[in-house]
Amino acid sequence: MTTVIATSGLVKRYGRVRAVDGIDLGVQQGDIYGFLGANGSGKTTTVRMLLGLVLPTSGEIELLGERMPRAGRRVLHRVGALIEGPAHYGHLSGRENLSLLDASGRGGSWRTRSRRVAAALEQVGLGGVGRRPVKAYSMGMRQRLGLAGALLRRPELLVLDEPTNGLDPQGISEVRELLLDLHRDGTTVFLSSHLLAEVEQLCTRVGVLDRGRLVLQDRLATLTAPTGSTVVHTSDPDRVRAALDGRVTSVEGERVIVRGDDPAEVNARLVAAGVPVHGLALERPSLEAVVLAAAGASPDRVDVRR
Amino acid sequence: MPGRETGADEVVVDGRRRDRHTAEGGRSDAGGCVPSTRTVSAVVSPGFGARRRWAVVAGLVALLAGLPSLIGAIPASDRDVPAADLRSAVLASDMVAFSGYAESAGGLALPVTDQLASVADLFSDRTLMRVWWRGPADNRVDVVTPTGEISTHRDATGTWTWEYESATATRGALGPLELPAPLDLLPSALGRRLLSEAADGELSRIGARRVAGRDGLGLRLSPVDQASSVSRVDVWVDGDSGVPLQVQVYGEDARRPALDTRFLDLELAAPGPEVTAFSPPAGAVVREDRGVDLVEAAQQVTGPGLPLTLAGLDRRPMEGLPRGLGVYGRGVTLLAVVPAPGRLTEELRRALGASPGAVVDELGVRASIGPLGLMVVDRPGGRAYVLTGSVTLDALAAAAAEMPELGGRP
Amino acid sequence: MILVELRKMFRRPRTWATITVLNSLPVLVAVLLVLTDLAPRPGEGPPFLSAVLSNGALYPLAALAIVLPLFLPIAVAVVAGDSVAGEAQAGTLRYLLARPVGRTRLLVAKLVAVLAFVLVTVVVVAAVGYVVGTTMFDAQPVAGGTSVSGTSLTPDEISGRTLLAIGYVAVSMLGVAAFALFFSTLTDSPLGATMGALAVLVASSLLFTLDAASPIAPYLPTRYWLAFVDLFRDPILWRDITRGLALQGVYVGVLLVAAWANFTTKDVTS
Repeated sequence: MTTVIATSGLVKRYGRVRAVDGIDLGVQQGDIYGFLGANGSGKTTTVRMLLGLVLPTSGEIELLGERMPRAGRRVLHRVGALIEGPAHYGHLSGRENLSLLDASGRGGSWRTRSRRVAAALEQVGLGGVGRRPVKAYSMGMRQRLGLAGALLRRPELLVLDEPTNGLDPQGISEVRELLLDLHRDGTTVFLSSHLLAEVEQLCTRVGVLDRGRLVLQDRLATLTAPTGSTVVHTSDPDRVRAALDGRVTSVEGERVIVRGDDPAEVNARLVAAGVPVHGLALERPSLEAVVLAAAGASPDRVDVRR
Repeated sequence: MPGRETGADEVVVDGRRRDRHTAEGGRSDAGGCVPSTRTVSAVVSPGFGARRRWAVVAGLVALLAGLPSLIGAIPASDRDVPAADLRSAVLASDMVAFSGYAESAGGLALPVTDQLASVADLFSDRTLMRVWWRGPADNRVDVVTPTGEISTHRDATGTWTWEYESATATRGALGPLELPAPLDLLPSALGRRLLSEAADGELSRIGARRVAGRDGLGLRLSPVDQASSVSRVDVWVDGDSGVPLQVQVYGEDARRPALDTRFLDLELAAPGPEVTAFSPPAGAVVREDRGVDLVEAAQQVTGPGLPLTLAGLDRRPMEGLPRGLGVYGRGVTLLAVVPAPGRLTEELRRALGASPGAVVDELGVRASIGPLGLMVVDRPGGRAYVLTGSVTLDALAAAAAEMPELGGRP
Repeated sequence: MILVELRKMFRRPRTWATITVLNSLPVLVAVLLVLTDLAPRPGEGPPFLSAVLSNGALYPLAALAIVLPLFLPIAVAVVAGDSVAGEAQAGTLRYLLARPVGRTRLLVAKLVAVLAFVLVTVVVVAAVGYVVGTTMFDAQPVAGGTSVSGTSLTPDEISGRTLLAIGYVAVSMLGVAAFALFFSTLTDSPLGATMGALAVLVASSLLFTLDAASPIAPYLPTRYWLAFVDLFRDPILWRDITRGLALQGVYVGVLLVAAWANFTTKDVTS
């Protein structure tokens, strides 16, 4: 397994503020990496540093095995990016926009350009968009067009910053399917988002950024692995406590947490004791709980200093 | 909360280790442009690269800004030529053919009358001139303005003056007295004229300087006449050809020249005859010059002529001058006495009276503009005269008092 | 990349709107001249305008002289000021750089596109001037014309010198373009970059008229703008022309290096 993105000790300072404060990212080939963090936690700055737009104050970045930003010219054309929302020339049509963008980079013969553009538009569901100028596009269409721009050169790595912004629920699900499709074909996806649900549904690995620091980075499956307890839904929590003396760790209404990683065993004992059981499941922490535990208060909050 | 413990072996929680790491980075940055040795290859610090790149910019700017003064600092090489020989070389240079571009800057804001406006402009402004010189009777001087030009072509029998903006060609005959023309401001012509009557005792050498890319040998003329308002004249002469390259005339203020004229470019090669020749182009207005009003007025003067000396200056014998008009003095100390038509006098007196430092008394109105003295002598019933020249105010007053027609002492 | 920038420049409606507006002033002046038959007095008004009434073939020059002091530099400053800052403001800059387009390459491509704009603009102004001049005024295509020095020029000489003048005016605009381009890398606001370049121009024009500033006058970017008149003297006065070309070259060189130093080390956060 090769590393696609690796940073070590990455720092970006603006004046006295450390926007990014020494982070060590590791994204493996084949990952769908969810880069989580509240607004202002340094996500966008990190993404921009990965793409060579913002130059780090110190630290190293390796992108597809090469040192950034020095190797940007060799590496970046293998990367597709959507950074902080799409941006286009409003007076030109979507097709012309993509054609210009395609012509700007190296490689990519002009003979096959229109074919590439058409394929990218098709992929994002804008195949029949016609000659309308982009300024007449809806927010969702622009988002799709931005995604098409990122897909133009069939990149090995997709760096997407909030890719579902402005999309309706159908659009969001379409994009999700598209990303999963691309992932199946071998594309690594680096997805920066503040939407936990989106990340939870898509990603295989998760990194959590809080105030410029990477406070958590692990496989999603590990983070949300069973905790070793079982959740019992019952209308009579008191009898559960009585039946499983000492194994009950907490009771929240009709939801009782019981130590023990074998629901069948718990069920047998409860049924034996005549406790009414409505449901049983292995306890798994939600991603939200994990993130909240790792990160502190939202950096948007400005509390009174004492 | 559950979950924190699970998989704790793999969870990377930012901790102490990184704190140390960033502290290091911070130190290296605070230390200036030299990052610590461990990170030197890894850091692509914008601060570092930017500093180096801006240094390139600063170096380039400094180089370009310094270039003119570097070129200006090329020393001129002096030659051991005695002052008298240098003067002779200048006087003999009027047959040296050349073409060039000259600039004259005068600090002389002459009181302007409509009729003499073009003359006043010559002395008060910065004038740019192109010149093609094949000889004293075959040359061309263009006064270059941003949007046009006035060119004066001299041939054996007269001058053609072309004014572009009015598309007018004017043919002028050669007269005994001519108003100052652009030609007279050229360093070559002005230098020759000012040195023509200088005594050897008034001349000294003053080193050399580079003018128009040539070595100009310095020659200083300090007039001995008491009446002179010119304190000194510095002429910088091309050592090879004797053509004056720069002329600076100083009045009382010895630091800033009242008149400074110099070549910016000079090429010592004869220009082709087609350059100096002129024929009015199709569609141009062609005029004949009527001559100068001043001469007309002087021709009407009757009665006793002007005295042989005024203010200690001798009258110059000049062929063809009307008797009512006199030029006194020698070299750079000159006084002209001109009977003025009444209309011109009124205008001139008003302008003169308004200039700073003007003296008004029973003799008339007088003022000095740089080294140039100007006076209007006007009594009711008598004829008005204009006295002007490179003389002091006292000399003007003395001359006015000696004028016979005005009731001065005979 | 250069082709891409040229495509962007000339596919943009604003580019052509600017050129159209630029041409309206000389056309208006020509109409007024024909209607009123009042030529500017000698020494006043733009160069060559008084000569146009007798020879319409000179109108391209008069048109250039009309737009040179203000309209043309403003148009150039607007376009050049927009070059990088406009992309930054629209957000397309980050996509271009991530495409990737080398920052130095982008800068050079932008400069070339601005150059092309200047050249096209000047040529269009001259061409429209020629059409206007020859249809509305008496043209003397056979007799040639009169130089500023009062000598006769053949039609070939006139057209040759007009071409030189067009080239010189275009080069004169490069300094403005370089200033605007440099400011355009400093800010994300195209308007700010344009205003910065115009401020430099206004300051330069002001200092040029000030005696106290005469020591620095030869280095002011607007110093030699009117020197294209010198091409119509006979013989041609090359001194100010060559100096004007060299000065513009120096400004372009220095500002381009400064723009490079700034842009290649800048964080793109737009």
